[in-house]
Amino acid sequence: MNLQKVISGFFFIFAMTINFGFFYGDIDNPELHSVWELFAALVISLISTVLKIGDKTQLGAVLLATSLVADIQLIAAVTVWTVTEYLSIVDVEAFAAIISLSGGAFLANITSVILYIGETLKSKR
Amino acid sequence: MANNALWLILQKLRTPLLVIIVTYSIAIMGMVLIPGVDDKGDIYHLSFFDAFYFVSYMASTIGFGESPYDFTYAQKLWVSVCIYLTVVGWFYGIGALVSVLSDPMLKHELMRNKFRKKVREIQEQFVIVLGYSYINAEIIKKLHKANIEVVLVDINEEMINNFLLESLIRDVPVMVGDGLLTDTLVDAGILQTNCKAIISLFENEEKNLRISVLTRFLNPKVQVIAKSTHNEISTSIMDTDIAMLVNPFEIFAKRLDIALHSPHILVLENWIYGNSDLCDNALFLPNGKYVVCGYGRFGKALQKQFEKNDIAYVFIDEKRRAPKEMLENETFIRANPDDKEVLIQAGIQEAECLIVGTKNDIENISIMITAKKLNPDIYLIARENTMDEVSIFQAADIDWTFIIERIMVNKTSLALTKPLKNHFLHLLLKENEIWANSLVKLLKSKIGSNPELMYLEISMEESYAIYHDLKDGEEIKIEVLQRSLGNWKRNNNVIPLLIQRHNEDLLLPQNVKLEIGDKILLACDQESREEISLIASNIYELHYAKSGEEKQIGLLGRWFS
Repeated sequence: MNLQKVISGFFFIFAMTINFGFFYGDIDNPELHSVWELFAALVISLISTVLKIGDKTQLGAVLLATSLVADIQLIAAVTVWTVTEYLSIVDVEAFAAIISLSGGAFLANITSVILYIGETLKSKR
Repeated sequence: MANNALWLILQKLRTPLLVIIVTYSIAIMGMVLIPGVDDKGDIYHLSFFDAFYFVSYMASTIGFGESPYDFTYAQKLWVSVCIYLTVVGWFYGIGALVSVLSDPMLKHELMRNKFRKKVREIQEQFVIVLGYSYINAEIIKKLHKANIEVVLVDINEEMINNFLLESLIRDVPVMVGDGLLTDTLVDAGILQTNCKAIISLFENEEKNLRISVLTRFLNPKVQVIAKSTHNEISTSIMDTDIAMLVNPFEIFAKRLDIALHSPHILVLENWIYGNSDLCDNALFLPNGKYVVCGYGRFGKALQKQFEKNDIAYVFIDEKRRAPKEMLENETFIRANPDDKEVLIQAGIQEAECLIVGTKNDIENISIMITAKKLNPDIYLIARENTMDEVSIFQAADIDWTFIIERIMVNKTSLALTKPLKNHFLHLLLKENEIWANSLVKLLKSKIGSNPELMYLEISMEESYAIYHDLKDGEEIKIEVLQRSLGNWKRNNNVIPLLIQRHNEDLLLPQNVKLEIGDKILLACDQESREEISLIASNIYELHYAKSGEEKQIGLLGRWFS
């Protein structure tokens, strides 16, 4: 067992699950989406991106790309949240945008996890 | 991957990045969780944005103060923990970045990227030169003059820096790297189709062999020019089929041989190399006894020629051994040549020629001075190893100096820049004295003491008019090129020296019909050179030279051309 593999696997999957936790719930109901979960999702996603850096294989490159997509989507969601809150624009459309952006990040995370699992299975054989 | 350098940076920055992310998020989380008191005395919590904003300027030690309201002691307690946490993380990150940027591996990687890019961008034919030395620098200059690009690789960074100080006509991509490695050779563009040759003139001849073999497998279309003076290595290098050997000792021994039986060939050779003109008196070497100092590779090369020409000789060498027979019949003396007694023992007083050929230039001069005192009429031949002592050798009143470095420069650059000249030289060496003597006389009487050499190829680009006439099925003889454009019945001062055609060589061609693809070497003077290129490329001039008539429709054209 390789400790580094455990850690990176942990963060890849954690990024996906925590993202799902934020994403899950009615898209237009702010009460169902915790800002803490968004914060945690962003931090975990950033960490998993850094963990993917440095793998020069083809698969490593694709994994890094999906992770970067998730980062960008989450950063966009956080930015929209901050802007709407401080400019006092409280509308459903902006909130829906935040949730759908995190939904996109969730998809990217799923792709990344699938690739990761696929590689793991292949190496076992 | 092409952007290796970027990957190197990212990989080394992994841990610092993780540290920064983790410390930031811990600090932000704490700031959001700990309750504060606003200006009205109410309890409030920092939002994530407030916390991020505060931590950002705290960690980078900018420190704008406490915001949005003054902190409570609980908050201040947490902030003091955070300061040490984040600031240390941040400095660690910056420190790591700086150390990565100054990393020699990264620097090398960046230089390599630049080098590869430059090499790939070369459009013309180019030559790879391995190692920077006096010889290679001279060769590079000559190649540049002939419009051939050069790529240089040297393992020593200092040498590369010295090279960058040279003033050259063209930009030379340089890299610090081990030329004996396949990777380096590939970086230097050996796989490219416009790579013409690779020059490997290392002192260590094993290296030259290695380069020849590597090149043979990487790209057999690239010619290798390798220095080799050892027999076994020479054979192995020649076995690769793509190599041209440069052996300065053999070259000189061959010249000595030529000088002994046909001195005029040597005159021609010197003229072709541009060392001197045809008026130089042919070198008539004495036929008496030869005393040679140094019995290394050079001495052995000479010995073969002496035996071929039936000349008496004595070798003197302190360190090397010779076969027993040589000791017995007194053709070898094992002693220091720089000694009066030894020279007398070798018979310097009745000898006619002394060849000093040791590795040490100063020793060579010293021997000559001693010998000259013992026998003032002796003919002196000296080996000069480097160009450092040129002036001393010039002052020493030597009959024939041969400079190892210059021989190598001449041989290498001529083979690469003027292949036809080099080929002519090759053929020349097979001829005899009578032939050479008459050619020298012919050239001198017809053209002058220093004729120019002109190269012409029957092709679309170089000789448009002849090419088209030949394509239309017309017959053109070599004599057409010799005619004067002022009066076609008179001839210019031109002597065709060689026509190279497929695998056939026509030496001093006369009454020969030209064919497409012919490579022609002519000796001529300045004016006829211009007329030859006019005849070759201008259809009106060609018509006149052929028939003596102006081309009818060409009358207008002639005025405007």
